[in-house]
Amino acid sequence: MAEQQALIEIDHVNKWFGELHVLKDITLNIERGEVVVLLGPSGSGKSTLCRSINRLETINDGEIRFDGQPLPAEGRSLAKLRADVGMVFQSFNLFAHKTILENVTLGPIKVRKDKPAAAKEQAMALLKRVGIDSQANKYPAQLSGGQQQRVAIARALAMRPKAMLFDEPTSALDPEMVGEVLDVMVSLAEEGMTMVCVTHEMGFARSVANRVAFLADGQLVEQATPEEFFADPKSDRARDFLAKILTH
Amino acid sequence: MDILSDSADMSAYVDGFMWVLRLTITSAIASFILGVILAGFRVSPIPVLRGIGFLWVSAFRNTPLTLIIFFCYFALYSTFGLKFSGNITINNFWLGVVGLSVYTASFVCEAIRSGINSVPVGQVEAARALGLTFMQVLRLVILPQAIRSTIGPMGSVLIALAKNTTIVGTIGVIEASSVMKGLINDHGDQVIPIFVLFAGTFAVVLIPTGYLFGWLSNRYEVKR
Amino acid sequence: MDSSRRHPGIVAVAVVVLVAVLGFVSACSSSSSDSTQSAATGDGGIIAKAKTGKLIIGVKADQPGLSLLTPDGYEGYDINIAKIIAAGLGVRPEGIEWKTTVSINREPFIETGVVDLVVATYTINDARKKVVAFAGPYYTAGQDLLVRADSTITGPEDMAGLIACSVTGSASALRMQKDFPDVQLQLFDSYSKCVTALSGGVDAVTTDSIILAGYAAQPHNVGKFKLTGREFSREPYGIGLAKQDVAGCNRINEILVASAADGTYDAAFVESLGPSGLKPPVLDPAQLTNCPTS
Repeated sequence: MAEQQALIEIDHVNKWFGELHVLKDITLNIERGEVVVLLGPSGSGKSTLCRSINRLETINDGEIRFDGQPLPAEGRSLAKLRADVGMVFQSFNLFAHKTILENVTLGPIKVRKDKPAAAKEQAMALLKRVGIDSQANKYPAQLSGGQQQRVAIARALAMRPKAMLFDEPTSALDPEMVGEVLDVMVSLAEEGMTMVCVTHEMGFARSVANRVAFLADGQLVEQATPEEFFADPKSDRARDFLAKILTH
Repeated sequence: MDILSDSADMSAYVDGFMWVLRLTITSAIASFILGVILAGFRVSPIPVLRGIGFLWVSAFRNTPLTLIIFFCYFALYSTFGLKFSGNITINNFWLGVVGLSVYTASFVCEAIRSGINSVPVGQVEAARALGLTFMQVLRLVILPQAIRSTIGPMGSVLIALAKNTTIVGTIGVIEASSVMKGLINDHGDQVIPIFVLFAGTFAVVLIPTGYLFGWLSNRYEVKR
Repeated sequence: MDSSRRHPGIVAVAVVVLVAVLGFVSACSSSSSDSTQSAATGDGGIIAKAKTGKLIIGVKADQPGLSLLTPDGYEGYDINIAKIIAAGLGVRPEGIEWKTTVSINREPFIETGVVDLVVATYTINDARKKVVAFAGPYYTAGQDLLVRADSTITGPEDMAGLIACSVTGSASALRMQKDFPDVQLQLFDSYSKCVTALSGGVDAVTTDSIILAGYAAQPHNVGKFKLTGREFSREPYGIGLAKQDVAGCNRINEILVASAADGTYDAAFVESLGPSGLKPPVLDPAQLTNCPTS
């Protein structure tokens, strides 16, 4: 039965920042194993939508369900939900006072109650996978942006999440470091991870996404496979948007 | 200089600074613990606790310490009969510690709170996104960094506390400034040297303390 | 933030400590020399100063009956005595500039010329005579105890384990410590706090009887407290002035003798401390021997 149900169900969601209506009646389902890329001009609400999936942003109206359960409002049950949803931020947000290894083991030990030795073993494996295992004992400030973002992905994966949210993971990186982060994301997608990505990397969207959702002014304007969307956008807004980014 | 050639004067001088030291250390420990708890209150998601923290800081940070110490003696002890010891010096010492601690805790609280505010909000979001509870986020991510960035301001609070202990002299603990007044009364011809001796002793101890905290603050600064 | 750390280092610390210590030592070595300057009075002493029609007199501000600063100005026994002396020197009351002093700044104020005279429950003793000249005494007080009206305490011998209150660094406090070590001593920076604490917290206030009488006679204290009436020291009150002003000192003694003769000396006491029940003093010219001899 659960097989039929989408992992993430966004159901008529509205959100206001004061007077500003930032999410307008958005309905969007993300299936298990699906990679959905949220596109749109800045201020379109795509980041807000992404962050509301693990309730870093609250919504005013509508419902979001994860794995069949409505998002809890607060407290331990919310914490438990968040443990199942990995998140990667634009600005990495590694814990500055902890080593790379400690950054990756903190969640498993404190939330999953893993044994420290097991958590360390898992962390080293994940760091090896993202290519940072030799830096495990350094502090975040000693790493480049691309390296820090790969650690952030390892940190999220260490929780063995059911889905991963990426909120503009490459926007704060120097261009030469974008590739190394995208490579990790591509390999995750190939393994069947459910992913919601806010990004401006059109190459990634084109080659990896199962579906592209285009937002403008808080509305979900259209959604389609990347092939359809990039070749033949249905809405003026999307055509406009693509014209602007693809001419450069 | 002949004031310290008199052994009675010398021991009064030493006793005076011993009281300063005892008051400083005891109140520093008490106000640190209290200040951390209050800072936790001030950033907690529970409105009642936030209110308590806010009221405490507003009340005690904005009341002159002299009045607080005065209140400790004349209200807590004199009127309500709060008694720590049958020995009046020990009793006054603890009344002084109470006054110094509730006052200094408000400064410790604000120093830590500003330390907490210096922890980038992104790290807090990342911690919450991992599924850590509020207390875990506070204990594992915020406070360890907040306290490090608080070392510098905390040094200033400690130095102020050490100097503020002289106000406990007003309720009868014969600390350094009370000893100084006594010596000046006895040696009216040596007012300036006596003053320089006492001020100099504070400076000789506190200036290196300031540097120590500056050094520690650099040493343990969280690199971002 | 990058990792460019500064090294304030040991050198800076050492320099600061060194400067502090050197400053301290030099201040000490230079200051025990006699201070002979007297800016307010000038070389001519108070007699010359009085010719200008003005005098600066240091008095206390917080001793009811003796010298209390009220909204109407200073009033009390010391103030009356000061006015007698000023008048004797030819200075009218309007020519007097009152200056509040506390126990610990009386010598410095005289030495540095901030004031010309000090009339401030100023006990004559040998240590102070090294620094300032004393005319008088105009009154001889004695240390006593002020207790609650229902108290059974009759003297310091009854107070073992009990709490007496006095002012930090005062002669009264030192005497209690030395002569009655069994009595616990609460110290404040003013007698008014001691009197407040007498309602709860301390068992007696101790200092000169005349000061205690002033507090006991305050309207809101009447009937609550009493003096034991047993003085256990002698505190001759003098008038302090610059040490080298021998002529001025002798002149003040002459003025005191004259005032005793014409009744103003007696009136000064009756007007201020009469209600306290203390007997007016009788001036003994044979005791006016404290002025420097040279």
